[in-house]
Amino acid sequence: MSFLDWATGLHGYLFVGTILATLGIIAVVYRRNSIGVLLGIELLLNAASINFIAFSKFRTAAIDGQIFALFIIIIAAAEAAVALAIILRLYRLRETIDAGEANLMRN
Amino acid sequence: MSETAKIILVLFQLLTLASALLVTFSPNILYASISLLFAFLGVAIMFLYAGADFLAGVQVVVYIGGVTILVLFAIMLTSWMYQVKLRDSRGKLIVPLLLALFGLLPFLYQGAQHLASRVLRTVPPDFQTFAYSPKTNAVGEALLGNYLLPFEGITVLLLGALVGAVWLARPK
Amino acid sequence: MDTASFAHSLQGWTGGGPLWVWAALSAFLIIYLIALPFGGFATYVERKLAADFQDRIGPNRVGPYGLLQFIADAVKMISKEDFIPAGADRFLYNLAPLMVVVGACAAFAVLPLSRYLMGADVNIGIFYVLSISTLVAPGILLGSWSSNNKWSLLGGLRGAAQIVSYEIPVALSILPVVMISGTLQIGSIVEQQGWAPGAENAAAYHFWNVFHNPFCFVASILLFIGGLAETNRIPFDLPEAESELVSGFNTEFSGMRFGLYALGEFAEIFVMSAMITALYLGGWHIPFLNLESLFIKLPTGLMAIIQLGMFSIKTLSLVFVVMWLRWTLPRLRVDQLMGMCWKGLVPLALVNLFGTAVWMWVFNGRSLAQLIFGVAGH
Repeated sequence: MSFLDWATGLHGYLFVGTILATLGIIAVVYRRNSIGVLLGIELLLNAASINFIAFSKFRTAAIDGQIFALFIIIIAAAEAAVALAIILRLYRLRETIDAGEANLMRN
Repeated sequence: MSETAKIILVLFQLLTLASALLVTFSPNILYASISLLFAFLGVAIMFLYAGADFLAGVQVVVYIGGVTILVLFAIMLTSWMYQVKLRDSRGKLIVPLLLALFGLLPFLYQGAQHLASRVLRTVPPDFQTFAYSPKTNAVGEALLGNYLLPFEGITVLLLGALVGAVWLARPK
Repeated sequence: MDTASFAHSLQGWTGGGPLWVWAALSAFLIIYLIALPFGGFATYVERKLAADFQDRIGPNRVGPYGLLQFIADAVKMISKEDFIPAGADRFLYNLAPLMVVVGACAAFAVLPLSRYLMGADVNIGIFYVLSISTLVAPGILLGSWSSNNKWSLLGGLRGAAQIVSYEIPVALSILPVVMISGTLQIGSIVEQQGWAPGAENAAAYHFWNVFHNPFCFVASILLFIGGLAETNRIPFDLPEAESELVSGFNTEFSGMRFGLYALGEFAEIFVMSAMITALYLGGWHIPFLNLESLFIKLPTGLMAIIQLGMFSIKTLSLVFVVMWLRWTLPRLRVDQLMGMCWKGLVPLALVNLFGTAVWMWVFNGRSLAQLIFGVAGH
């Protein structure tokens, strides 16, 4: 099997999805800026929808995978809006968007 | 699919991967969000090739037209306007993390190979007609048929998110 | 529908060659034969019209009636110093105008110039136009940020907020057409509007969508208003309000980079007018006349040219209205702009959507014209 067939088949989709998920998790734990954490979450959700789409194409020939991906995209949008509202609120209260500084609940 | 089409898909997959690397490791948060835009674009093209034309459109509208703009707005409202620097400083971890990621690549390759070979053993009968047919009608019928309850749930969730976001971002 | 993509017909005529070469060539042709000449000529027409409205003469030095003015302008822009302001973010400064132009010009691929002359009739046609033009908003925002100027940044923030908000009434005003036609494919949406009295198979064709029902009429006007706001034209030109923000998001851009922004804006105006033409004004159809079912059989090439002419007349009249408004209406305030979108256009668009649904249900999908001439429902 040539590289092109490998990359454009199910393997390629799964490979890209896995890398995106890995990078997303790394961003979530590694970024200090809370907007950076949000970017990581978006990568994770995208990786999930890639997998849904890939399996719906290569495995079942049914539409359900696409519906799930659609729901994931909608939920990601809602989550981004709320998260950014929280970040703006945090900035207004603490003058910073460093995720490590949001520790009012600790004491 | 012709060879040219396959090469184009591979190019967009590479674009997605490179942009995702930048999203995670770029020290400048603004550049990270711009690369996120290109990662979204690459994923949309992958959807297109997987026979999900409607989903690709949704991906571009929602992510590039909505989420990216929101993120850019948030960055500009919290960083530039008040002269806070854009750097996200934790520079010393980048190289070891990158090395670890590339060390993992062979295992990811093996894993994708293994999983795909298990899954692909039975190819569904109507596969060819599914892969290259328009999906908008099917998605619409599924949303108002089998998936009506989740669909209504999503609308309530969106309303809640809308009200919640407005309330959270209210002026003092 | 027997529309084929541009690249396929080119391949057919020349007898072979790899498809991607023809695809690249047709993209090149669309941009250099339609987008660029239109953008160039529109600047001349706009200046001439402005002069007429203000009782001046306007450009009259280069060529007869100043007709070659736009070529002189282009030469000036290209030969100007390529200036990047100090403190600018060079990478984004270069990238941003390109994003605007790509977002505006990519939509040309699906414009239904004629039944026999479309770049590509893709399945998700209108949705493709909606989605690819969202690239413009990040382009404006990034360009404004990267030029390191507070007037620019204010203009860019305004522009992005405005474009994102007005996407909603625009999308909601397109939905009635989708509901009537039952497809997102632009070619078949236009095809269904070719109704003529006495035509065979009259149930499948209704007249122009503007006159399908009263709600569609309102929706087409909303689409026009929303399109004006999305292209940052007066009375919605807050992102580049000269009297407050110097020149808004493109203040720091000079030479060909500014030219790209201007080209992107004119291309967007063309795309918006063409979309309204295709969705609501019957596209390439001549009113009350069906070219395909005439008593004499016209050659395909002649029909393509007639349809192209019809489409251009409708589109360019809309472009003329856009330019007319520029010298007629004053600029809105920011709060008025947002209030109009969220309190005026969005509820009205929702009412239109619901009203069209009720009309489709009550009259079994027939248009006003079909009702008047007593065509049975389908």
